[in-house]
Amino acid sequence: MTRIALAAAAIAAVACSVDPAERHEADRREKETGWRGIVLENPPPKPSFTLLDADGSPYDFRAETDGFVTFLFFGYTSCPDVCPVHMASLAAVRRDLPAELQRSMKVVFVTTDPGRDSPERIRAWLANFDPDFVGLTGDKATVDSIQLAMGLPPSIYEPPDEDGFYVVGHASQVLAFSPDGSIRVVYPFGTRQADWKHDIPLLAAAGSHS
Amino acid sequence: MNLQWWCSAQAVPWDWNWRPYPGVWLFVLCAAGLYFWLTRGVDSGNSGSDPDAAGGSRRPRRGWAIVGLAVLWLALDWPIGALGGGYLSSVHMLQFLLIALLVPALLLLGVPDESWKRLESAGTTAVFRLLTHPLVALALFQVVLVWTHLPAVVDGLMATQRGSFTIDVLWLLGGLLFWWPVISPVPERTWFGEPLKMGYLFLATVLNTMPYAFLTFGETPYYGIYELAPPVGRITAGEDQQIAGLLMKVGGGVILWTAITTLWFRWFNREEAACPTA
Repeated sequence: MTRIALAAAAIAAVACSVDPAERHEADRREKETGWRGIVLENPPPKPSFTLLDADGSPYDFRAETDGFVTFLFFGYTSCPDVCPVHMASLAAVRRDLPAELQRSMKVVFVTTDPGRDSPERIRAWLANFDPDFVGLTGDKATVDSIQLAMGLPPSIYEPPDEDGFYVVGHASQVLAFSPDGSIRVVYPFGTRQADWKHDIPLLAAAGSHS
Repeated sequence: MNLQWWCSAQAVPWDWNWRPYPGVWLFVLCAAGLYFWLTRGVDSGNSGSDPDAAGGSRRPRRGWAIVGLAVLWLALDWPIGALGGGYLSSVHMLQFLLIALLVPALLLLGVPDESWKRLESAGTTAVFRLLTHPLVALALFQVVLVWTHLPAVVDGLMATQRGSFTIDVLWLLGGLLFWWPVISPVPERTWFGEPLKMGYLFLATVLNTMPYAFLTFGETPYYGIYELAPPVGRITAGEDQQIAGLLMKVGGGVILWTAITTLWFRWFNREEAACPTA
């Protein structure tokens, strides 16, 4: 019995070593700022750029997204982890929003891998999550310059493996803009659906003209 | 290859390439060794004791245990262990059903009566009697069930091999405690007959409704480790969690109701044999 008691004590010690303090940084932010994302105090202005959408037509980011809660993300469709998780999370949250909020929200995905991500491929990939998501493509230099202007690092191509597959290093955060562009919130990888769900109404209300 | 000894979340994209988990093999080998040590010198198919005490039949004991050990290995090793360790909460729930509900029942069914007597006489201390008391065993099992499904615990423990191992061991130990009052054939608690055993198992089916509802009807995914895991196929985190909840209800229900039905027929047959019609 002594051995059993010792083994039980050892298991209990391990089981009790869960550190809730490390569990969710967003809880701390919400207490401090009311937001679960990271609110930038002095963000650069909402960017103006024009890239090609999935139909091959020019898409003027400012003109198309002003007046909407906008989420902007730079990624690529072959991404094995961060990009599909972000897109799936935003799609799931959008599905559960009231219709009015759904209509007031846009998700814009800009590829950092224009060599592989054709407009058709981007459209098909985004349709897995939400067909209303907007996919944009442009040459790498243009996309890099947009990212740099927004304080994000340009994407980096890792050397290809023996099958020719390569990984693209890119910023993992989603940028959010209020409808009037006055508020910028950053959502790093690790943002949960509950976090988006909490902040979207705040974004909509904070920047609405009404 | 980055060798892991136990399955846990790795935050790397899932692929179907086999990976070795030597800790799992060692654990299952130890469990098998313990079983064969406990049953040493006992005929596998013949309990050699009072058939009534053993539930009215001579059960193919060793076969149950071997199946139980095989299911334990299946639940802990690649791919189920790896998928449940850090990719899909539904597979994590499947692991729970196998490790906490099915394997303990199979292992205990595989213990011959002689070994039961040996086990219970070796453990006649007050603590052992207390732990295997039906009310205490059921309460402890529920504590394990609820605690190991709390989001903070899952997210905290499944991120490490040590934590994942802890959850698996707690499930197995909790399951052994849970099934002990139902399966132990030594008539130590004569008052705990088939009707009470059925009530005990029925209560367990009711109690697992709480985590089922928690998972199935959650507005957003509860477990960050699965919500943010690299995707496997096209299943979303929300769907994955709903499947986990349904698995708990349906899979757990199938196991528990199978046991209830078996007990009912055993009780019915015994009552009928005891009261022959004129």
